[in-house]
Amino acid sequence: MKRMDLVIAGFGTVGQGFAEVLDMRGKSIALSTGVEPRIVGAFDSKSAIYDEEGLDPNLLLYNKASGKVGNEPLVDGVAFLESIDYDLLVEVSPTNIVTGGPGLHHMRSALGSGKHLITVNKGPLALAFSELSSIARENCVEMRYEGSVGGGMPIINLCRESLSGQEISSVMGILNGTCNFILSRMDSGLPFEQALKEAQELGYAESDPSYDIDGIDTACKVVILANSVFEIDCNIHDVDVSGITAITEEAVAMAAEQNYCIRLIGEVSKERLEVSPRLVLKGHPLSVGGTLNVAQVNTDLAGPISISGRGAGRLETASAILSDLLAIIRSSVNNK
Amino acid sequence: MDKIRVNADLYVKDVPGQLVAALEPISVMEGNIVGVVHHRDQIMNDRIGINVTFDLADSERLDRLLSVWKERDVHISRIGSVVETFPLDYLLIGDISPSWLETMLDRIRDSLGIESLDIRYSAVTNTGNRTALIKAKLTNKENLRKAEQLINEIVKERDILAVRGLGK
Repeated sequence: MKRMDLVIAGFGTVGQGFAEVLDMRGKSIALSTGVEPRIVGAFDSKSAIYDEEGLDPNLLLYNKASGKVGNEPLVDGVAFLESIDYDLLVEVSPTNIVTGGPGLHHMRSALGSGKHLITVNKGPLALAFSELSSIARENCVEMRYEGSVGGGMPIINLCRESLSGQEISSVMGILNGTCNFILSRMDSGLPFEQALKEAQELGYAESDPSYDIDGIDTACKVVILANSVFEIDCNIHDVDVSGITAITEEAVAMAAEQNYCIRLIGEVSKERLEVSPRLVLKGHPLSVGGTLNVAQVNTDLAGPISISGRGAGRLETASAILSDLLAIIRSSVNNK
Repeated sequence: MDKIRVNADLYVKDVPGQLVAALEPISVMEGNIVGVVHHRDQIMNDRIGINVTFDLADSERLDRLLSVWKERDVHISRIGSVVETFPLDYLLIGDISPSWLETMLDRIRDSLGIESLDIRYSAVTNTGNRTALIKAKLTNKENLRKAEQLINEIVKERDILAVRGLGK
């Protein structure tokens, strides 16, 4: 049986979730495609592990629970990747929206040496989407990133594959569960500060929540959608961004009197790249509450199409990586 | 120009070609026929009733259409039209005074035209801020875009947060 050898860069929540999912679904993928996906390497910020014969996902999870994913100290992720043999990099290291962080270097290294890439790491994509796509094209490999927008909600594949042949005029959506939770709680009369505190206590918001509440996370997703669905060569600096910190309980109450709620909406079209709080009529597909993500794709033939799902979470995001993996395996089988 | 939707009850002679004679001018005026219903039970002076709903680009075309129908001996028993409007919904949060807001809306009214307008204010909070809700209707999509652009420019100057509707 043919094999697809994987390396996981970053073994935090998402990396561990993917290892778990691959353990659950690896055999059925092998049976249905004739290609066995195996993890041959993994690394986190401190350690690395590699075995050309394949690694047991449960061993990696056990190692990580004990502190480190591997037994070798990691000095440089790129040097590690260059020293081993593999087919596909799953890049799920922590995101860095200022420089792209190590993730950007891992991606350049993998694509530049002819390896496929699956990532949910938004920072590098929001800063250097066009460059990474070019490297992938030049090296005839695939770069997929379904989980980077909407977690388990398959918005990118919906637009690029299921809706192919249609003209998409815009995509609008709630792409950040933290903001949506805060605004939903404000619908119940909570002031912003209290709703934020509650989100932090429940683990939906970081101790420094600015990445979410200032709209940066949603802006990254707008950039990824703009590049991948609309082929707009743009980065994070091209997005007009307003967050939700100035939303008051008076504003929420006044909106509610007119049957509106306020939601942080990312909007992508040829004319507009924007993240801003918007008035959404209650009952509109974009008026969802809680931590849900939702998107509305406006098409010329099918009209508006809405999709909703959990925007984050260990297994939800891993499911998106799994769908990307299957797409790459099927494509490699069809091309041979 | 303002797009209008028209609904009309017509009576045409019950002979071949008369229905086409009534509907064809709508297409000539670049109208879009939304629906046609025959009322074969409504016969008056050897004419049958039809109800037609269509969109036209402006009222001037409707006037020309009425002339053509008259020339073609199409009887109009009832006609009604509504102008299509585009909602301009904004919630403004910040240092807002009613006089400042009225001045801004006057600029829009004078240059772009507003079909209807409703403004509500919250009380001033202890931070000195207040919220204003604007619900207006414009009759032209291009003017709506210009109005949004104008509001966005003005509120940025005063550091006011503008929360706008999703639009049509």
